[in-house]
Parts: sequence; structure tokens; C-alpha cells
Amino acid sequence: MTFFTVVVRGLIRRPVRTGLTLLGISIGIGAVVTLVGMSWGYEKSIGKQLDVIGIDVVVSNMSGGLMPKVFDETLQDKVAALPKVADTTTVLMLMLSIEDAPMMMVSGREWGGFTWEKLEVLEGRLPKDDKEFAVVLGKLAAEVLKKKVGDTVQIEADELPVVGIVDGHAVVENGAVILSLSVLQEISSNQGKVNFIDVRVPEGTPEKEVMELCETVNGLFPEGRAKLASEVVGTSQGYRLARAMSWSTSLLAIIVGVLGVMNTMLMTVFERTHEIGILLAVGWKRRRILYMVLCESALLGFLGGVTGVGLGALGLKILEFTPAIRGLLEPDLSPKLLLTSVAIAVVVGVVSGLYPGWRSSRLSPSRALNL
Amino acid sequence: MNEASKGVGSVVYEARGLKKNYDGGQVAALRGVDFDIREGEFVAIVGPSGCGKSTLLQMLGSLDKPSEGSLSYRGRLISALEDPSDYRSTEIGFVFQSFHLLPTFTVSENVQIPMFETGLSRGEREVRAHELLVSVGLSHRLKHFPSELSGGERQRVAIARSLANRPSVLLADEPTGNLDSENAAHVVELLLKLHQELGMTLVLVTHDLGIAALATRTIRMKDGRVVDETTPLTHAS
Repeated sequence: MTFFTVVVRGLIRRPVRTGLTLLGISIGIGAVVTLVGMSWGYEKSIGKQLDVIGIDVVVSNMSGGLMPKVFDETLQDKVAALPKVADTTTVLMLMLSIEDAPMMMVSGREWGGFTWEKLEVLEGRLPKDDKEFAVVLGKLAAEVLKKKVGDTVQIEADELPVVGIVDGHAVVENGAVILSLSVLQEISSNQGKVNFIDVRVPEGTPEKEVMELCETVNGLFPEGRAKLASEVVGTSQGYRLARAMSWSTSLLAIIVGVLGVMNTMLMTVFERTHEIGILLAVGWKRRRILYMVLCESALLGFLGGVTGVGLGALGLKILEFTPAIRGLLEPDLSPKLLLTSVAIAVVVGVVSGLYPGWRSSRLSPSRALNL
Repeated sequence: MNEASKGVGSVVYEARGLKKNYDGGQVAALRGVDFDIREGEFVAIVGPSGCGKSTLLQMLGSLDKPSEGSLSYRGRLISALEDPSDYRSTEIGFVFQSFHLLPTFTVSENVQIPMFETGLSRGEREVRAHELLVSVGLSHRLKHFPSELSGGERQRVAIARSLANRPSVLLADEPTGNLDSENAAHVVELLLKLHQELGMTLVLVTHDLGIAALATRTIRMKDGRVVDETTPLTHAS
């Protein structure tokens, strides 16, 4: 028999209660995995999109919601004239409800810009020119909207024909409705406005020089920011709000978990007062009693964490295929998230066991034996 | 505590003016008790219910602290021990009237429980538990749970557990109190064997004057005081 055996016996003596507590922690950790996985997944998906397109610097005004505020497209000429700028293109990106889909990315792209380059046409074609009132759908967007080439898509008050289905090689690209910038500006009443200037720098430009370029752009565009592509999502206020909400909801789930485990451990300690008295009477040190209770609650947390990670992963998979999410992001199920979640569960266990453990270690052996 | 340091016949316990009050002094369980217990003695503490004999034994086992007076173990105040768990773990073994076995652990595991504080390896713990259970005649019950044993068998497991860390003193609180006469006789025989063969100091609280008559000395208590001490000589007279 090892000390671990003693710890396990402490938990399995009340299997139903232990099981219910495990379920409670699992649901809490499952919520953490799902919410944070969505938030991290959004960041990762946008990052991958920028990487696939080959954008080095993004100029935008991220102070709005999930999508940045629009600004005058003439800024592009000033940015393009700067040294160390190889290429620029403008984008008007909107989150709109399209037919039955509650939220879709609608991407109006400057005709001829490099954001069209990586789109691989699977069916049909790309718009003929910047004046054609037509859209191409990313392959996931086509699935979500159940559209094929020749159908029409209603955007705001206009119906536009679908002329092509494309593979953009990133979830966000494949989940988007893509059309020419001027058409989207017209149908969304944003004439002359964009909300992104995507910038490419010459290959091999040192990061320091790219940072200097960002600083120069910031001087030209005080209300917005030029950011390295890798940093752009993290600076979005909308994203930060969503991330804060996911963590605060997770925190709530964690607090509920702490209270659940603490309640279980307190009940266990109350029930086992006599047993703890025996352990003290046969010479166990108080710190071993404390350690035993902490190990029990940590094990409870660990098992709840592992189960919770499984539940959360399942939740993310289900969400990934819901129409509201599909094509907007690829949920993050990275080892970092899974390990963080299990670590949180173990910490929840340990924290929850502190008070019951302290209480049990302070018992008077003679009184405990007489109970 | 090694054998050489104990010295044959040296004082193991020394109680002076020992008092114990409960409920803020409303209840006096001990009202000033003085005695010495020497190495290798078998001392029986007898007296009517509520006379304070179990309270006294709990103090000897450092399960409770005196309200007044002093109680020393081999010259060291028990109440001043830095860590009484060391004393409980290695110096004494405790046998209780109601066995106090852990119900979710097997017989062998119950015996191993006190050994966690001694740094023995898992294998050493298992071997020693097996040896102890053989010595109390329970080698066939290693994997059983306490609920599957008779009262006498449970008490023999408790005795084996009390010997887990090879103590020099055995404290027994009414060890036959919950047993029928046959099982009680087996348990007493076992305790006597430990006292005689291993030279353990045995302090036993009992109602049973027949068992007390087997002791080398009997301390008789009444109303929280020692009222009489008898030795084999006075027994004989």
C-alpha cells in the first residue's frame, strides 16, 4: 500500500458524491476549454488568414467592435509612398447577417490587390472586374449558405449572383463572402471607405525596420494603428472584450468548481473526523493529514480536469460545425489550452482542499476519537 | 529510543499533581494524580466508570493534555514535546476498546498505516505487517476488511497495528471491553505474551479485576484520584 492508495481510498469511499463533484468540475473546466478555445481559435484563425495571404503589416482603427472602424481609403496612397513598402491593398471587411447565417465575414477587396492572389477557384470564376455585382464564396461559406455557382446571395438590400466557389486555404478565408471593394462600398453605403490597409514589405526586411515603418504610418494615421500581422488580433478592442468575457465566464465556472470541491472535501472531513482521529492517534503528523486532504482534492481536480477537457473538446467540435460559428473561426484545441485547463483544475482542487485540510489537521485526537 | 538508553527498571512515566478539567473547570476528570510507571511493568488501572482512568490513559498517549500538573515520559514533559506525533508514532502503541480500525482498508493495510511516518519502503511495510499479523495469528486474514472479522480478530489487528513501529510501551484502554470471554482471554494472553517475551511496558485500563490480577501493579482510581496501589505482594496477602 502506498500513500496514493490512502488518497484514492478517501475518494472512493463515497463514489456517488465523488462522481457528482467530478461532474461539477468537469462541466466547469469544459466551459473553460470551450470559451477560451473559441477565443484563442478566433485569434489563431485570423493570424492564419493573414499569414496565408502574406500580409506583413495591417493598418486599421481597432477601437471599435470585432471589426475595425472605417476610414478614408486615400490613406493607402500615403502608406504606399513610404520607403520599405513593397505593396499595399485595401479591404472593407464587415460582419453581416447573410440570409439564414447570423454572422458572416463579408470581405470587399480592392480589385487587383494581392488579397485575391491566393484564392483558388474550385468552381466558376472570380468577378470579371471591380464593377461586377457578384460574389465568390469561400467553400465553407458555400456550405453554410447552401449555395452553388449561379445562385444568388442577399447582402443588405441587394441580391448578388454567386459566380464562383473558392478555397482560401484558411478557415476565415473559406468562411467569407468575397466581392470587389467598390461593390461592397456601394451596397453598404461606405463609398470611399475601407477598414484595412494590408501592407507587404520587401522579403527579408528586418523586424526592426518593419516596426519603424509601423511608427511612421502611425504618424500619418493618428486615430488608427499600424501593427505587425502577428499582433493585429490581440489589439482589437472587440477581441479583447470577447477574450475578457470568455475568461470572466470561465472564472465564474472555476469559482463554482472551487465551491463544489470545497463542499465535498468539508463533508468528507466532517464524516471522517473519527478516522482522522485514528490517524493522529497512531502517530500521523498533522502535516501528513493536511497533505492527504490536499492530495485528495488535487486528485479530484485532476480527474475533473481531464474529464472536463474531454467535454470541452467535444463542445468545441460541436460548435465548430454550428452554422453560427462555421467559417468564422477554427476552435483552438492546442496542448497549451488542454494543459492549462487541467492545471487550473488541479489548482482548483488544491485551493478547495486548503480549508478542509487545515481544519482536519487541527483536530484534537481525543475528541475526534470520541466522535 | 534505543534499548541501552532505557535502562531496566528506570522510570518511564512520572505523573505529579495531574489534573484535567472540562467545560471550563465545570467537570474535573482528574483531581491531582501522582504515580510512577517503570520500564517493563504491567500496570493495570482500575476503577468505576467515570473515575478518570481513560482520561489518564489518553494523557499517557498524548492524545489529550493535562490542565495542571506534569506528566513526563522518560524525563521529558509530554505536554512540552515539540511534535507529539513522533512520540505517538514510535514510542507507544495504543489499543482501544472499540478497535478503531479503518473500515476501508484491509487488515494488512490497517497495520501498515502507522508505518508511513517511519520512512519504511512499501515492501518493508508489507513484510512487517505480515510478520505482525502472523504473530497475532491472523496470517489468513491479510486481505480481509475489518467488517469481515470477528470482534476478537479485530482487536488482534489493532494490537498488531499498535506494534507497527516497535514501541517500548503499550497502552490499552479496555481492550477486552467489547469481546466475549473466549476472545477476551485470547487478547489478554496476547498482551501478556508481548509484555513477558518482548519486555514491553504495558499500561492497561480495565474493569475486569481478573485481568487486573495478572498485572505487576494495579492503580485503583475513584473520582479522579488514585485511591490505592497494589503490587503482587499485596495481591497475595
